[in-house]
Amino acid sequence: MSTTTTRTPERRGTPAPAGGAGRARSGQQRKQTTAAWVLLAPFLAVFAFTFVLPIATAVGQSFTTTTRQGLFGEEGIQVAFAGWDNYVQALSGGGFLTSFGRVLLFGIVQVPVMIAFCTVLALLLESASAKCPQFFRTAYFLPYGVPGVIATILWSFLYVPGLSPLLDVAGLVGIELDFLGADSVLWSIANIVTWTYTGYNMLIVIAQLKSIPGEIYEAARVDGAGAFRIAWSIQLPLIRPAVNLATVFSIIGTLQLFAEPLVLANASPAIDTEYTPNLAAYTNAFAYNEYGLASAQAVLIALVAFVLSFAFMLATHRTSRPERKARK
Amino acid sequence: MAPLTRRRLLGLGAGGALATAVAGCASPGAVSVNKAPALPAAAPGETVTLTYWSWVKDLQKVLDIWNAKQPHIQVKATWIPSGNEGGYQKLHAALAAGGGPDIAQIEMMAVPEYLLQNGLVDLSRYGADKMAHNYDKALWRQVSFNGGVYGIPQDSGPMGFFHQPGLLDRVGGRPPRTWAEWAELAAEIRRLGSRHYLDSFAVSDGSVFTGLAAQAGAVWFRTAGDEWVVDMTDDKTLNVARFFDEAVDDDLVNVSSELFSPAWYAAAAEGRIVGATCGSWGDALVQEVSGGAGKWRVAPLPVWGKEGFGSAHHGGSTAAVLANSAHPAEALAFIEWLTSTPEGIDAEIEHLGIGWSPARHYIGAKRREPSEWFGGQRYNEEVFARAVTQTNPDWTWSPLTKLTSDALANGFRKKLTSGQSFVDSVAQAQSTVVRAFRDKGLRVREGKQ
Repeated sequence: MSTTTTRTPERRGTPAPAGGAGRARSGQQRKQTTAAWVLLAPFLAVFAFTFVLPIATAVGQSFTTTTRQGLFGEEGIQVAFAGWDNYVQALSGGGFLTSFGRVLLFGIVQVPVMIAFCTVLALLLESASAKCPQFFRTAYFLPYGVPGVIATILWSFLYVPGLSPLLDVAGLVGIELDFLGADSVLWSIANIVTWTYTGYNMLIVIAQLKSIPGEIYEAARVDGAGAFRIAWSIQLPLIRPAVNLATVFSIIGTLQLFAEPLVLANASPAIDTEYTPNLAAYTNAFAYNEYGLASAQAVLIALVAFVLSFAFMLATHRTSRPERKARK
Repeated sequence: MAPLTRRRLLGLGAGGALATAVAGCASPGAVSVNKAPALPAAAPGETVTLTYWSWVKDLQKVLDIWNAKQPHIQVKATWIPSGNEGGYQKLHAALAAGGGPDIAQIEMMAVPEYLLQNGLVDLSRYGADKMAHNYDKALWRQVSFNGGVYGIPQDSGPMGFFHQPGLLDRVGGRPPRTWAEWAELAAEIRRLGSRHYLDSFAVSDGSVFTGLAAQAGAVWFRTAGDEWVVDMTDDKTLNVARFFDEAVDDDLVNVSSELFSPAWYAAAAEGRIVGATCGSWGDALVQEVSGGAGKWRVAPLPVWGKEGFGSAHHGGSTAAVLANSAHPAEALAFIEWLTSTPEGIDAEIEHLGIGWSPARHYIGAKRREPSEWFGGQRYNEEVFARAVTQTNPDWTWSPLTKLTSDALANGFRKKLTSGQSFVDSVAQAQSTVVRAFRDKGLRVREGKQ
């Protein structure tokens, strides 16, 4: 449908082909085009107002700054074009860059662990010898239904000294654990994120596993392949697109880490207002009313997420291309 | 890809046009409402309906008392999340859109932040100056800027020392009268066990430190003409910072759990935390320590020696009239009743459990009675009624209070992560704050230069 809608306006300019049949067809097409636009209109309106407009506003705002006359601006407030000032300020503070380093470290460790974990779970649940796969599939997916804020509150009861049974038990055997310390709290957050999203990513992989035709398995078994061989040589290569997709989602999700550190900040003194890039932008926008700076930070976060996702896709695309050629 | 180009271009064009339209809008609050002529009071017999946004629950019960007696000035409450938890965001957004309620609850320290948006009505133009004698002097100072009055104090929190005398007895101690005694006592308490502490110091909340610096006599923000003077690194503040640097270095104070956090409650209930330095409103929160009934008392805040003051204000809020209100005169009449008459104050204490009364001559009937939970102590009269008369009268807040508090806390946290001293953090916070003043388009200089 999208090709018809986009092509027709171009055709409108060109002279219609001679002959009654041609004219009838173009009239019909025009009607179809109108119908398509009418049907698309609600989507486009919502898309423009909730997606295009906010992004355009944020980009615009990231280039503005405020000047004031008087102690507070009681003699006048002006908004002026600031050039790259907000971007320079965002990158020169130090805290914002550090927060990027922190989430990148988080991503390098947490994303591979979670992807490996969800792939293994999916393969196990889709193997022939799995018992009650439906039950376990639901059970593993369930944490995703718990909102991030609630999940963090629940986990914090296992992290906070004086409340956590884990710490009490560890204390009994003489181990001093600190889940909320400066060095450990990032991994405590990683644990919450892994707990929440492993099941979700597992479902993406399972959907792909289910689309592998049965004949391929039969052929493999006829050739004498065992369960491990099938998983390694057939399932893993064929679910690769799903795993890649899950990885891209996870990379973007990592950069947008927000609710977990925000909630856990109440329990952990190590989490400051610039702990993650999103937290820094949020604080600037809604605690300090520094919309210019916050917009600049948000634009930078989006750019980094875009670059990282694109780099990952490029890398996986490159490695998978020779295989495809070989298969042909 | 080619067929998509046209649509993409259209999309970009529309986006660009919208962006231009947005950029073309005049900034709301660009012109101060206080430059316009004062709005007249409503004609006699006309009924005015006011809206009041606040985060205290059951506010409507208090408003109903007023509404029953004043048929021509009806006030309606709307609940908003507390302060920076979301309520301020709503208020700022409403002001930016040219709307908002008539009256809003705004913390004392956040009042100047709203002035950056030209969001508050100067109530001195509606006769607030004549009310000044009814209110605590230090609080009135905190709502007065540029010769105007931008909010009426609604409650406050003179600081005191909540403690468990039973635990102090175990080391033969008494509540400390000076901070030096506090440090000695803290060392004694540490002998009771590896997890026993006298008191806590919040690295993630700059508000107690700010209060104690004010108690020591510091004044971080002053104005000189059109210019702000930031002076966070004076000797008094640095002494307080140095004192707590030593306390943390010597492991005298609990830094692992914030006051009134779940971990703190657990420790306090087990008798591992002896006391809490906090504003008077802490009484309600201390009473949530399980099994604590009868075990807690309140003592005056320790002092910094001969200099400085007996106490400091910790928190506190105002009832402010917002710029887009059509009836500031009526709003002020209602606020005066709410915050300075015995009827209003008693209703606020009973239904809202509001902080310390801002009225100079009335602390509230209920607060003159002995408290059963605090072992029959009349702590309000004994401790806080006196403390409120001994606060720093020159203290004012700045338009960047939240940022200042966060900058301090972000630095203080580094004490635990990288060992950075509080003294260094205060100096860093000052330069962050000064830069932020410039980013806001304000004129500023550092005090020590």
